[in-house]
Amino acid sequence: MTEYAIDIVNVTKRYAEHTAVRDLTLRVPTGSVYGLLGPNGAGKTTTIRMILNIIAPDSGAIHIFGRPSNDPKITERLGYLPEERGLYRKMQVRRVLKFLAELKGVRGSEAEKRIDEWLVRLSLKTPEKDWGLAKIDELSRGMQQKVQFIGTLLHDPDLVILDEPFSGLDPINAQALKDTVVELKKRGKTVIFSTHLMDNAERLCDSVCIIARGEKVLDGTVTDVKEEHGQRNIALALEGDGMLGVASILQDRSLVKRADDSNRFFEIELVPGADPQTLLRRIIDSGASVQRFEMIQPSLHQIFLQKVGAQGIEEGMTGHG
Amino acid sequence: MAKLWAIIKREYLERVRSKWFLIATFFGPLFFSAIIIVPAWLASRSKATTDIYKTTILDATGNGFGRRLAINIAGDSTDTARMPAVMVVPPSELTRAESTATRTVMEKKKTGKTGYIVVNQQTIAGEAARYAGRNATSIADMAQLKSAIRQTILAQRLEKVGLDDAQTKAITFIPLEFSTERITERGRAGSGMASVLFGFAIGFLLYMSIVIYGQTIMSGVLEEKTTRVAEVVMSSVPTDTLLAGKVIGVGAVGLTQQIIWIGTTYVLLKLREPIMAKFGAPTVSFSLPDISLAAGVLFLLFFLLGFIFYSSLYAAVGSSVNSESEARQAATPLLVMIVSTGVFIQPVLLNPTGRTAQVLSLVPISSPIIMPIRMAVTGVPPLELAASLGFLAIGCVAALWLASRIYRVGLLMYGKRPTMKEMARWISYSR
Repeated sequence: MTEYAIDIVNVTKRYAEHTAVRDLTLRVPTGSVYGLLGPNGAGKTTTIRMILNIIAPDSGAIHIFGRPSNDPKITERLGYLPEERGLYRKMQVRRVLKFLAELKGVRGSEAEKRIDEWLVRLSLKTPEKDWGLAKIDELSRGMQQKVQFIGTLLHDPDLVILDEPFSGLDPINAQALKDTVVELKKRGKTVIFSTHLMDNAERLCDSVCIIARGEKVLDGTVTDVKEEHGQRNIALALEGDGMLGVASILQDRSLVKRADDSNRFFEIELVPGADPQTLLRRIIDSGASVQRFEMIQPSLHQIFLQKVGAQGIEEGMTGHG
Repeated sequence: MAKLWAIIKREYLERVRSKWFLIATFFGPLFFSAIIIVPAWLASRSKATTDIYKTTILDATGNGFGRRLAINIAGDSTDTARMPAVMVVPPSELTRAESTATRTVMEKKKTGKTGYIVVNQQTIAGEAARYAGRNATSIADMAQLKSAIRQTILAQRLEKVGLDDAQTKAITFIPLEFSTERITERGRAGSGMASVLFGFAIGFLLYMSIVIYGQTIMSGVLEEKTTRVAEVVMSSVPTDTLLAGKVIGVGAVGLTQQIIWIGTTYVLLKLREPIMAKFGAPTVSFSLPDISLAAGVLFLLFFLLGFIFYSSLYAAVGSSVNSESEARQAATPLLVMIVSTGVFIQPVLLNPTGRTAQVLSLVPISSPIIMPIRMAVTGVPPLELAASLGFLAIGCVAALWLASRIYRVGLLMYGKRPTMKEMARWISYSR
């Protein structure tokens, strides 16, 4: 049992107007970095809230480290960073952090020590300035995000849940977050994050689960997922002009099933059985100058689009993400 | 338990540290002393001022009435400073004398004269006397002058029937002081005026505290919701603990403030004589209402229960909305409940044992304010008291139950403000 950090079995959560999560089963291996992917309104936030025991499922069971999710001892092993962030604006940084630590059962003196370490580490406390003594609303947005991040990790949780952690982060903080996630994994912690940014997920996650409209579309390790959707894709990059001729080739549905056009870069999925060489030859014949032509595994982004489709993305519901 | 304590501690310390709390706590006692001292001071104004000594008596009676009146006004004192000036004028000269006197009063700064009295044959007949002066609107001064004139007329008449000076004095000297005192089942309990003021102060204090602290809780809940702190906290503690921590923490702030208020007001009232002397007001003696320890405990109990009742409802409102302006709108029904109770404070003070007072002190919406007022101004039968507390306690449990159910759903609902129907459905949600 305990090899899973999270074990969700047949969980359903209904609201008056709709079903937010339908018969969801997923398992997160302990020590992995796990991506919960899906469009807005897919049920990610509802799922996370059920894991955190903020709301209870209508049916099904959730176990965290082998214990029921409503076990009060479990909450102290969880760290949560909500999607939209905020802290008590009028409160001093240190006091906010101490409060959050105490809620997770960290004793006052121990909390003080850890707060110092973290403030120094994220350069909120330097010889010149100790932002720990400032009020939250005196901090810049980036600094507030750092404080929130400290609040999530202060009690050294075994399972860290980050809801859309990259939204609104500047590149420097985003890098710091990635570094921290990698470090957490090295220390044997389990990290879950929900996102709709596939690039980040692809680079960071060991395993992913894609959900849409409250249901699981697919899950597994990133390698398995890619292999399962094993039709090999082609990465194509062009140089200079000559796009026009290529565009018409990519429209040819006897050869190309789908092409994701990023202006100078294309990710192309061939019709089953079609020969990549035929495509390469036709592109060269069209007079285009090929910079890159490579057989690749489909990106998560491609798989996501293929599985969820545009419809699922548009069907965003506010309220219960 | 440690987590509940962390929440209570945060709510309490963050609020007690705020400037708002310090200011309100400091100005509260000044305000309450003022509402107790000012009426007392005003009451002291019902004693005539020294202005009455600075009048000129224009005596057109021709029989020495003015001189007697002057002695009467001076209160039979031989102190010449207290003796009004007397000008004996023939009736024909009166108009001119009056215009001279008017000018003297107009130049009060130079002359020190505040007014003049005209006495003539009509006065001796007991029909009319005239006064013109700067203090003509002072009810106490005029009453004093009037009674001095009456007394002088009476004295003259008594003399006419043959009584001598000493006899006249003995008959007309009536230095009556009229004091009032209230009687309850427990016996005499301070002056009537003081206990009404005290009842009003209690009612006002409870009324203000409930409104202020209710709204404090509401905006606190709203802040946690809009900043999403609520989600982080809810991932660590059950919502009921969060709600309980808030109500207890803010309630403790309110209790702290009230204890400081009551304590310092008490001290200020004890020291009122030197303080009022500083302001140049004559000291007024009035006995403070006699409040037993049991009554004090009951007052605090009513405050706490009333606070729990309203603040849990305010918390529910705060959790169901998304902005301050929405919150103000949504809290209107609560405010109506409190304000309409406030409207009844005065009628209840006037008739604390009436049917209205009895009914209002049983309904949980109004009982936390009305019952303490009744207790302050009259004796309330123990059975009524017990019933009032019982209903209020039931009301609190119901309000907490309702609030906790709305709270835990509302905190996670963003976007549109819910309708009453939706909120009713939230109550039925398991979690």
